[in-house]
Amino acid sequence: MSHITLTAKAVSRSVDCRALLPEALQGKTVAEIASIKLAANLSVADVFEVSVDTASEAAAVTFKNTTSAHQYIGFGMTTGQISVTGDAGDFLGAQLQNGVLICTGNVGARAGDRMRRGMLLIEGNTGDYCGSDMMAGTLGVLGTTGAHLGYGMKRGTLLLAHRPAEQATWVDCGFHKLPFLNILYKSFKRLDSRFAQISSQRVQRWMGDMGGLGKAEILVIQS
Amino acid sequence: MVINGVEIDDTFAEAFNMRGTRILITAQNLRWAYNAANAMTGFATSVIGCGVEAGIERELTEDETPDGRPGLSVLMFAMGSKVLMQQLETRMGQCILTCPTAAAFAGIESEDMISLGKHLRFFGDGYQVSKQIPDANGKLKRYWRIPVMDGEFLTEETTGMVRAIGGGNFLVLGASQAQVLTACEAAIDAMRKLPNVIMPFPGGVVRSGSKVGSKYPKMFASTNDAFCPTLKGVVKSELDPRVESVMEIVVNGLTFEDIAVSMKAGIEAACSLGKDNGILRISAGNYGGKLGQHHFKLRPILSGEVSA
Repeated sequence: MSHITLTAKAVSRSVDCRALLPEALQGKTVAEIASIKLAANLSVADVFEVSVDTASEAAAVTFKNTTSAHQYIGFGMTTGQISVTGDAGDFLGAQLQNGVLICTGNVGARAGDRMRRGMLLIEGNTGDYCGSDMMAGTLGVLGTTGAHLGYGMKRGTLLLAHRPAEQATWVDCGFHKLPFLNILYKSFKRLDSRFAQISSQRVQRWMGDMGGLGKAEILVIQS
Repeated sequence: MVINGVEIDDTFAEAFNMRGTRILITAQNLRWAYNAANAMTGFATSVIGCGVEAGIERELTEDETPDGRPGLSVLMFAMGSKVLMQQLETRMGQCILTCPTAAAFAGIESEDMISLGKHLRFFGDGYQVSKQIPDANGKLKRYWRIPVMDGEFLTEETTGMVRAIGGGNFLVLGASQAQVLTACEAAIDAMRKLPNVIMPFPGGVVRSGSKVGSKYPKMFASTNDAFCPTLKGVVKSELDPRVESVMEIVVNGLTFEDIAVSMKAGIEAACSLGKDNGILRISAGNYGGKLGQHHFKLRPILSGEVSA
């Protein structure tokens, strides 16, 4: 397996990173990855320094020095792990199919949009419409969340460290100690992330989005 | 062969192929884990009348359970996969789902995965929640969270089903009922320390060993008269005049080696009381070797030969 590290160069335009998934980059050389087209007149080499470690146990991609200009990171990922050391733009982990995506910084709008499976863990703050139209999976946010959180969300879990603004289409289900969180937190322990430090099983549970299916939940961790 | 004055018969226990599974049951504390596990393994002494044979294998520490709570590991055996699946689902629904704070997880990996909470989830009436969470090896496991009155019932979707063996056994023959029971208790204490086996009868011991057939046409099995001490003069008895009581320990396990090792430990523990404490003979139950696929020969097993 390969662990690919993409160190972002300073950019003056937005960069669509949807082609840079662990499964897509497996087995590719530095030159092959560098030549991947991200837009009509933009290749990976223009915006990233590329390095490849072929001795990795798991399929992984690490983004470094990214900013809000880097959009669609992890879009449609099906396996492996992406770590973003820095901020990320809009649509981080959108349509995530499986795997783990960790971002240490702040992210743009529509993080986890239409996500179906897997874990998207954001250590910073999110923009608006976080978890919009999410179908399933787990999306964690340690920072704050923007407006229209979980808009149209069908199923899945938003695990939050901070209580979000109240919304008419999300229903307060009260405070609970949920045993499954122990298993979830155990899986976090394997990750190099601040999420590994969470231990409280006590949460406030909200269900929504009642404008739609209403089977999704927001869990706000209680200290 | 004689151990501590106790004669070891030159005979064998006859055992059968079975299907087995392991379930890990956790709860808020061991008291409630036992409440759940005792219910689940209750009325599971013999496949003849109970469908499955089940028992508690051992206690689990918080580090050994998926959800970090105290728990118990339960083994369950049946003659076929269909019965095992049916019984597991029924017992999950009636014994684990109902027990406050209890949760159930897969205790064994196999290519054959059978339903643990897969169908039980519908009890949630649409409010059940599926969560796929990677285990310590990164392998995704599916769990079901089912809303119940005490909070949430958590169960893994499936557990593994493996080929197993049931019906390993030995008989303890002694001078009195009390002495034989004491020897059997010592044997069970020793056998319960070993992994991958359960002794499904009450307290691990069975007093009503059976033979195939009966004078009554509708009965498939009847009392093992050759080992009944009160019939010594009436039937073709296996017992000499000194024997006043016989008890049997039946052991089911995941492999031949597991059963052989546990039989050795149990027999040695029973024999440790010795002839002076009224333990006279160790024998084993079989059907002439024609029915069961596995023969556990007492003397080779006690000599340390455990392979099939």
